Amino acid sequence: MDYVLEVNSLRKEFKNFTLDNISFKLEPGYIMGFIGPNGAGKSTTIKLIMNLIKKNGGEIKVFGKDHIKYEKEIKDRIGFVYDENYYYEDLTIKQMKDIVASFYSKWDEHQFNYYIHEFDLNPKAKIKTLSKGMKMKFSLAVALSHHADLIIMDEPTSGLDPVFRREILDILYNVIQDDSKSIFFSTHITTDLEKIADYITFINEGKVVFSKPKDEVLENYALVKGGTDLLDRETRKEFIGLRETKVGFEGLTDNLDNVKRIFGDKVLIEKATLEDIMVYSVRR
Amino acid sequence: MLGIIKRDLIILFSNKRERFFLIFYIPFLLFIVESYDSKFMYFVILVAYTYLLSITPFAYDISGRTRYIMSSLPISRKEVVFYKYLSTFFYFAITIVYAGIYLWIINALKIKSVDYFNVEMIIKAIPIVMIFTSIVFPAYFRFEPKIAQIVHMVVFITFFIGATNMSVVGEKSFVKYLGFLQGKNIVFLAIGMYIVSLLLSMKLYENRDL
Repeated sequence: MDYVLEVNSLRKEFKNFTLDNISFKLEPGYIMGFIGPNGAGKSTTIKLIMNLIKKNGGEIKVFGKDHIKYEKEIKDRIGFVYDENYYYEDLTIKQMKDIVASFYSKWDEHQFNYYIHEFDLNPKAKIKTLSKGMKMKFSLAVALSHHADLIIMDEPTSGLDPVFRREILDILYNVIQDDSKSIFFSTHITTDLEKIADYITFINEGKVVFSKPKDEVLENYALVKGGTDLLDRETRKEFIGLRETKVGFEGLTDNLDNVKRIFGDKVLIEKATLEDIMVYSVRR
Repeated sequence: MLGIIKRDLIILFSNKRERFFLIFYIPFLLFIVESYDSKFMYFVILVAYTYLLSITPFAYDISGRTRYIMSSLPISRKEVVFYKYLSTFFYFAITIVYAGIYLWIINALKIKSVDYFNVEMIIKAIPIVMIFTSIVFPAYFRFEPKIAQIVHMVVFITFFIGATNMSVVGEKSFVKYLGFLQGKNIVFLAIGMYIVSLLLSMKLYENRDL
């Protein structure tokens, strides 16, 4: 099967950080949430996919093709949104669009104008005068206006207020109604993904913790609450991460059957959110 | 190529500082560099203007954060380098037209007597532009902005010192002594340097982490 995005054993070494053995696959028509704490290696992975930095090992295939050998062809089919504004600040929206549009073979002016109108953006406004949310909307408008088959987004909702965040997510929700489009979405705000993601890849300290369907992830993990008297050297092993207070403990497990067998009804078991999974896995 | 040039021109004309430079750089050069020979002024303007037109928008891109956007567009790094080198000739053509009109007006208004079209100087200017850009381009493609700026400043100041030396001393100048502006050697040297520089920049930029 041809995956939209296939990353195998990816490695990148820096002085103080190594991205090691990163592997995951994204099928056409799905959204993959790429989660992890700050500094986990999310942006580095995205930069490697976009060939902005060079890998030390491994393989990246986009639309089934090597991302360097077929770079131009691949990038023509990718829409990208980065965490910060990297556009020329002195230019207006229209000027920046004119520059970007000339590089894409399937640039759709009608589509761009639709989004500009929809997002309430003034084409004559200089990019430096836009708020962070408006800049993000402009990036999205560009990413969605050349019939891209894969949208890659690096922390698009980071630093946005809840209203803007919701708006951005609603836009993405509309985009995925088109089954042919796939989205690779990195974020540390995991609640953004609860609604829209099909797959979750969790990365921490440069390594993939898991890459699974979201429903499977949420089914596999559970939050366990109980008194600290239940914890000893053996029972602690059942938890991926633990938070202890004077009144009790809260822990994340991926082995619910064992927990039920050991603690019985002495503990309270709740569904874990993606945030719980990320926080407790990092705390390990 | 058109995409790269379109971007360069939009950047140049959208920035107030660059617009100011485009308009006032020619009169600035005319009144700063005094020359015994009016055709030499034309040569200085051609070289300085083409060189700065090539470097200015390029420096925005390679040095600034915008490089992430440009490198995410459907254009390979090899193409970015190749079109950049090719665009120098486009800027040279623009300079001939723009400086020609500008200097013709200055002549017509009798502000200063200066050549506004001189084939001999055009032929002499292009290898010099090629030599300067072939030194500076790889620095921008490979190094961090500060280092590239230093290389740019060294090249540009060297040009001005050489130009001032020639314009004041004339035939007895150090530049003439070196035979720098004479013969076919300079053309072969320029072509050789430009090709080597192009290949070097391609290699350096392709392997660079942005």
